[in-house]
Amino acid sequence: MRLMKDWKLIAAGQGLNIPEGDLQKITQVLDGLEAAFRPLAASIPPEIEPAVTFSCPPQETP
Amino acid sequence: MTLLEAARALRARKISSAELTAASLARTGSLNAFITVMEESARARAGRADEELARGVDRGPLHGIPVAVKDVFSTRGVRTTCGSKVFADHVPNHDAAVVEKLDAAGAVLIGKTNMHELAYGISSSNPHFGVVRNPRDVERIPGGSSGGSGAAVAAEMVFMAMGSDTGGSIRIPASFCGTVGLKPTFGRVSRYGVMPLDFSLDHMGPLTRSVRDAAVTLEALAGFDPRDDTSSRELVPGYLPPEDPWLGGVRIGLPENFYFDGLDPEVAAAVRRMAQTAESLGGRVTGVRVPDIAALNTISRIILYAEASALLEPYLARREQFGADVLSLLEQGRLLPATDYVNAQRLRRIKQQEFRAVFKQVDCLLTPTTPTAAPRIGQTTLEIDGREEDVRLASTRLVRGINALGLPALSMPCGLDRQGLPLGMQIIGRPFEEPLVLRIAAALESTITQ
Repeated sequence: MRLMKDWKLIAAGQGLNIPEGDLQKITQVLDGLEAAFRPLAASIPPEIEPAVTFSCPPQETP
Repeated sequence: MTLLEAARALRARKISSAELTAASLARTGSLNAFITVMEESARARAGRADEELARGVDRGPLHGIPVAVKDVFSTRGVRTTCGSKVFADHVPNHDAAVVEKLDAAGAVLIGKTNMHELAYGISSSNPHFGVVRNPRDVERIPGGSSGGSGAAVAAEMVFMAMGSDTGGSIRIPASFCGTVGLKPTFGRVSRYGVMPLDFSLDHMGPLTRSVRDAAVTLEALAGFDPRDDTSSRELVPGYLPPEDPWLGGVRIGLPENFYFDGLDPEVAAAVRRMAQTAESLGGRVTGVRVPDIAALNTISRIILYAEASALLEPYLARREQFGADVLSLLEQGRLLPATDYVNAQRLRRIKQQEFRAVFKQVDCLLTPTTPTAAPRIGQTTLEIDGREEDVRLASTRLVRGINALGLPALSMPCGLDRQGLPLGMQIIGRPFEEPLVLRIAAALESTITQ
């Protein structure tokens, strides 16, 4: 069984100053999101590229 | 009165733009729908519109018509807060492309509408600029994030108000307030000059009191803009639907999975009645299996959380300047690993391919917009079918995923529940097929208003 991420440790590692109460709520939401997302991410065929927009248009020479 | 009816009255000299504008300004004080009212400039613009019409200069259907824009659209010299304390004093030195186009079309900008803080939520209960109220029941939310725009249109403060939609923020207020809300195809309307929430999910579109009003607004706004990297060069067709409501040959898909699960039964019944109406107008309504929408929603949330947090991270040290719900979402985005964001963008491509297959079987999808009518102000959970659900996640679950696909989607009223609250229905089309979406919507609308 795969263990869930420790969001509190991640927050601390990133130096994020999130109050304990807020962190507790966030952790529950992220656990749910992680549980839904992990199997989806594991199913992606390697040839699939991200659908992000980036263009490299030609530059006019002076 | 609809926008097009007002436009006809203006040309028949039955009313002037100055009179329409005065009536509009007189109504803006209620519901907390506005953050900024631009009285002086609106009156001046209306005077110019009347003078132009008298000289025979006609800029089209929006000429002289009072409109509003959500307070995410930059307005030169007029503060643009994004509903946030962080940007409370932000005064842009340029107009958003949408504001430029509305001005070129002769519209009279009445003001900037209230909204959910940073466009990041669905209640429009703004901790800095006040709670926006739903004109159908002032104890209920108008939806969001474009809640002020929905309320202003439904309460007849303006004839059209612009919204932005990252995960349903045009269609949810349209559903809860009983208006039309059109989210065009990604790239169809320029994002230039709009304070972003998410670079790849934000869409700009109108909320109106009729489908035809949305169509003529889109005609004024659509088109390529080199200042927006994602702006499309697709040709802009005519959007005004034909008068004839016949839908002969149009293949309308009614989803067999997901969209009719976990609904208020009144919503499901209202949408199914509209499907029967579409059939009576010659449409071919068929059941269709749609891709995994729950997965698409998860993908969309990861993209949104990551992009919004990246965008707003520089301001997060000022925690006291954010509402609790928005701060929580922004903190969630900061904790997601970069690998999840990249993989969500890869999954987005897969979902896009899956939806292309659906749109080989049908020409559009007909679905509910929201699973219930408008919740009460302050309500955090909904009980639907005996199951408790978070209000934000419930209200977005039928609309959010479509933003990740960039497809055009329109919400329109499809009936009232037993409390008299409006219910919304969504029509989703292929990329850049707004003309067909609007044609179907106008045909169905004609059966409601008759």
